[in-house]
Amino acid sequence: MVLTIEELKKITKSLLFTMSEEQYLTLQQEFTLILEQMKLLGAIENLDQVEPLVFPIENENCGLREDEVEKCLSVDEVLKNAKESMMDMVKVQKVVG
Amino acid sequence: MSYLDLSIEEIHKALVAKQVLPSELVSEAYDRAQKYQKDLNAFVSFRIQALKEAQNLDGKEITNPLFGIPYAMKDNYSVKGELSTGSSNILKDYYPVYDATVVKKLKEAGAVSIGKTVLDELGLGGTGTNGNTGVVKNPWAIERISGGSSAGSAAAVSAGIVPFAIGSDTGDSVRKPAAYCGCVGFKPSWGRISRFGLFPFATSLDHVAYFTRTVKDAAYLLENLAGKDPKDMTCSIKPVEQYVEKLNPELKGKKLAIIKSINESLGNPLVRTNFEQVLLKLKEAGVEIIEEDIDMRLLKAIYPIYMVISSSEATSNNANLDGIKFGPREKGTDFLDSIIKTRTVGFSELVKRRFVFGGYCLAKENQKELLLRAQKIRRLIVNEVQRILAKCEAIFLPATGSIAPKFTEKNDEKLSVAYLIGENHLAIGNFAGLPSLTLPSGFVDGLPVGVNIMGKAFEEQEVLNISLGIETLLARYKGQIAKRGGE
Repeated sequence: MVLTIEELKKITKSLLFTMSEEQYLTLQQEFTLILEQMKLLGAIENLDQVEPLVFPIENENCGLREDEVEKCLSVDEVLKNAKESMMDMVKVQKVVG
Repeated sequence: MSYLDLSIEEIHKALVAKQVLPSELVSEAYDRAQKYQKDLNAFVSFRIQALKEAQNLDGKEITNPLFGIPYAMKDNYSVKGELSTGSSNILKDYYPVYDATVVKKLKEAGAVSIGKTVLDELGLGGTGTNGNTGVVKNPWAIERISGGSSAGSAAAVSAGIVPFAIGSDTGDSVRKPAAYCGCVGFKPSWGRISRFGLFPFATSLDHVAYFTRTVKDAAYLLENLAGKDPKDMTCSIKPVEQYVEKLNPELKGKKLAIIKSINESLGNPLVRTNFEQVLLKLKEAGVEIIEEDIDMRLLKAIYPIYMVISSSEATSNNANLDGIKFGPREKGTDFLDSIIKTRTVGFSELVKRRFVFGGYCLAKENQKELLLRAQKIRRLIVNEVQRILAKCEAIFLPATGSIAPKFTEKNDEKLSVAYLIGENHLAIGNFAGLPSLTLPSGFVDGLPVGVNIMGKAFEEQEVLNISLGIETLLARYKGQIAKRGGE
């Protein structure tokens, strides 16, 4: 199975980045290999009754913390890494046209 | 011989005896890091303030074995007010506003960070060749990779810059570079050490892990880093043990399992010979070895499972890197265009390729056949590992299938068992969240190789004890520092 460049572009669009035409060709080749590797997953049968394992260790060893009043970050600290801010808010470009 | 070439324990004794000062140690570590940077490229940034911090420790009461010890930190941990980049352009100007719990604990213990180390961008890679500040070279042979993603941390310990360095391990990112660089690499159980402040790559697989030069030093670190953390709900509340005090190298009477098909999958026959030589020594030392196996279809699925789960989780975890709240921001025609341009220039091609695969697995039409299937097979593999562990104290494994490859080597055999199993089997420790330690076991073609002990969840003491026993058997490789040009 080979994914078309158009199909790959659809995925990158949903991930909010772009790639060069040359990079898409490399990606297409790599994808062909990866999909070959994925066939190895298809070789394992009778999975209907198997529960998926999401986290490796059940949460029995973990506990909920008590609620404690804590000082949170100041607005200045929160905004420290933002490129632009205005009136204690992150400033961004126009969202709606 | 400098004090810096010794283990944490030996340096601590010298500090207590006032034979050396924290400022002298940190100053020398800092100088070595600077001196070797041109050759190794292990560091993203240096902490000049470390020198002042160490001077402030001089003459103070020594309260902890890590007090006054210089160390290096992988650049995917948040350090308050200090550049923390994840070796990615998308975070190249990011200054966190809080400390990771690991950072906080090391500060409290009096350890002094001399700098942040290079990783494969955002942790996605296993070679140390994809950081935004260039490739990390293996201190034993600079034409070879150090392994990754914790590349700079491995190189820093191996080169004798610091006696320990913090890394992180999602597939084998500490335990494999430890083998390539000839040092100890330890990944405790999932949840044993808080991940608060570690940049998330794949949440269900990520572990805090680290490099040392001896097994005992790994125990010292675990005592300091382990423990519950209300800031990380996946962190265990199990009490922290006295790992150092309970260390016992006695191997006689221990039962270890080997997994036949993994050992037969190693690409380099000399690496397999090294593993078998250690196996022989273990038998001579009174260890009972039981030979087990896992269905080849499951073993061949290790790498595909890792790719599906890690890429899916990475794609989701890194969706917040958009240049809005932090990180560099590109100008666009509007809000969305700005994000697209920021992410386009911020991520490297390799990382984008991983994200595209993650996006493909997460797409509604593929989730069942890829992500859900991978999670189900993950359970089958974990069940098999648990079945084996029920019969023994730990599993004894080769750490890698080969020696550190040259930068120019290309692997065109990515459907071979040597690649799918021999080079990727340590990921079972991440699938199951098990404690897993790599230690040096000798040399092949003048380059270090290692073996691995994987134990039961939260039985770090057993893993450390068996590893100490092996280290004692292989004493000539204990505490080694890289000699350029090999053994």
